[in-house]
Amino acid sequence: MKFSHFIFRRALMVIPLLVGVLFLTFMLVRVGGLDPVGLLAGPTATAEEFEMIREELGLNEPLWRQFVIYTSNVIQGDLGESWLSNRPVLEDIGARAIISLELLFWGIGIGTLIGVPLGLRAAFRPNGRFDQTTRILSLLGFSIPTYWLGLVMLFVFFYLLRWAPPGMGRISLMVSPPDFVTGSYFIDGIISANWRAAYSSLTHLILPVICLAIVSAAPIIKQTRAIALEVISSDTVRFARASGLRTKTVRSIVFRNSATPIVTFVGTEITGLVGTMSLIEYVFAWGGLGQYGLNAIVRGDFTAVQGYVLVLALFSVIVFLAVDIIIAIIEPRADLK
Amino acid sequence: MNNPSSNRWTLARVHNRARGLARLSPTATAGVIIILFFGILALFSNLFMPHDPVASYTDRILQPPSADHWFGTDGNGMDVFSRVIYGAKFGFGIAIPAVLISLVIGVPVGLIAGYRGGILDEVLMRIFDGLRVFPSIILALAVVAATGQSLLNVVLVLGFLDSPVFARLVRSEVLSLRSSIFVESAIAAGNPTWRILFLHLLPNSIEGAMAQTAVRAAWAVRISATLAFLGVGIQAPTPEWGAMIRQGTEFMITGQWWVAIFPGVALIFLVFGLNLFGDGLQDILDPRRRTSK
Repeated sequence: MKFSHFIFRRALMVIPLLVGVLFLTFMLVRVGGLDPVGLLAGPTATAEEFEMIREELGLNEPLWRQFVIYTSNVIQGDLGESWLSNRPVLEDIGARAIISLELLFWGIGIGTLIGVPLGLRAAFRPNGRFDQTTRILSLLGFSIPTYWLGLVMLFVFFYLLRWAPPGMGRISLMVSPPDFVTGSYFIDGIISANWRAAYSSLTHLILPVICLAIVSAAPIIKQTRAIALEVISSDTVRFARASGLRTKTVRSIVFRNSATPIVTFVGTEITGLVGTMSLIEYVFAWGGLGQYGLNAIVRGDFTAVQGYVLVLALFSVIVFLAVDIIIAIIEPRADLK
Repeated sequence: MNNPSSNRWTLARVHNRARGLARLSPTATAGVIIILFFGILALFSNLFMPHDPVASYTDRILQPPSADHWFGTDGNGMDVFSRVIYGAKFGFGIAIPAVLISLVIGVPVGLIAGYRGGILDEVLMRIFDGLRVFPSIILALAVVAATGQSLLNVVLVLGFLDSPVFARLVRSEVLSLRSSIFVESAIAAGNPTWRILFLHLLPNSIEGAMAQTAVRAAWAVRISATLAFLGVGIQAPTPEWGAMIRQGTEFMITGQWWVAIFPGVALIFLVFGLNLFGDGLQDILDPRRRTSK
């Protein structure tokens, strides 16, 4: 079938990109002049012990062989062990990925639901009062540091108002987590009718999700407006207007023609948001992949950093692929070559 | 151009220009005012700081805002107001050199890639595409942490990581100019390649990149503060805004809000000013955006 053929070819095109990504994560540690040996051996190690550890880590091999070894390890699912805890990195990352995805899902979902309608409305009356207001708001959204916003929210809603739980984890310590179904405490709580857990999870979700939604909505508003403006000035829409169609109909034509570039943009935004989200996780002690990665960076645990950066890049590649596939589905004009 | 007197920036002319800008783009003007405000704070911080930004008054730890300490004192007993003012130096001190480095790397790369084309161009574009799969903040953090944590390194890494933005913009302009008549005649007149690149193509392709500088400076200020917030690159007692927010983090849930709030507000204002200016700049310099409004 033509469609599966397209997906297969599109997936093949990713391979050179993956090699580049692997090379970069490999170089990140090797070129940095960091010495894992010193860290592993400790201050009292003798010269022989140093040499032994070097041998064990394969650091005496030529650089290209180290890269080949690293690549084959990664392909076999071995991301190495943390320099600090000696735990396998892949296991740590796998356990945390779902925790982060829960936050990302709600954050980007709500951000898109806010951003796209606002951007469209701004584009329907360019330079009107609504457009000016959303423009300033979106620029402000670009300018607010995420972590600071999270701290202010904790101050207002936890310290001052006592509405929200303290920013620690994703469910209250007093509540036992629901049975594992999807990995999202909130959804699992609802599925298993564990209302206490669902409620506790919801209260923990609200603040970080609002932070993420605000930060993700800002660029979506700006870009949706720009995309819709371009569509509005296209011949299609001019013809629709000239044909005397009702405003409502014209607007739905604008929306349908803007959908493809908007999906593409939201897809590319997810990559950046994963970075922003890690800061939110850090502030709210969410315990997900982002917090793990930031802690690894701050502590200098470079196998963990390497694994983290690699997994993020893989995630982006998958998202880009998914965007292409979604577009091929929603856009009948898309060229499947 | 030929008449030197017409180009002289007398005070009246500056005034006139400013009014012209205000009419053309009120948001850009607001941005300029905010940037100038922080620029003055950064340049003449000694005049505005009531206290030494790193002197710690051990008897006045975590005091709320008062007549003596307008923004209160932090956990070390340092005056937050003075530290916020001093922090403006870091904002500009990191953003300006970082953007300059991005331009110095990105513009020539874009020029050469666009003009030469072929495999070189293809490879460069693939590399730039590849870099896009990494979240910029995480890449910046990881590279700074891996290559050594110093202020200089933060500037170098930010400048380097952001250079593809300018390279892309210049490249796409050069691609459309490459076969234009003025370039062909410059070649026919026997100009060496470097002259064609830097004297003929550069002035005609730089506008889009220049329009982006303010927005990229805003990015650099934001990211450098984020690095400092995590304690990567810039360490805590330094009066840098991100580092100050880091110091105030633990006090936010115990009620001493002033330690983290004020540096955050300063950071937002500077980044917002740069973004406002950048947004207006793009409107003014990019004719496509102007007509589409």
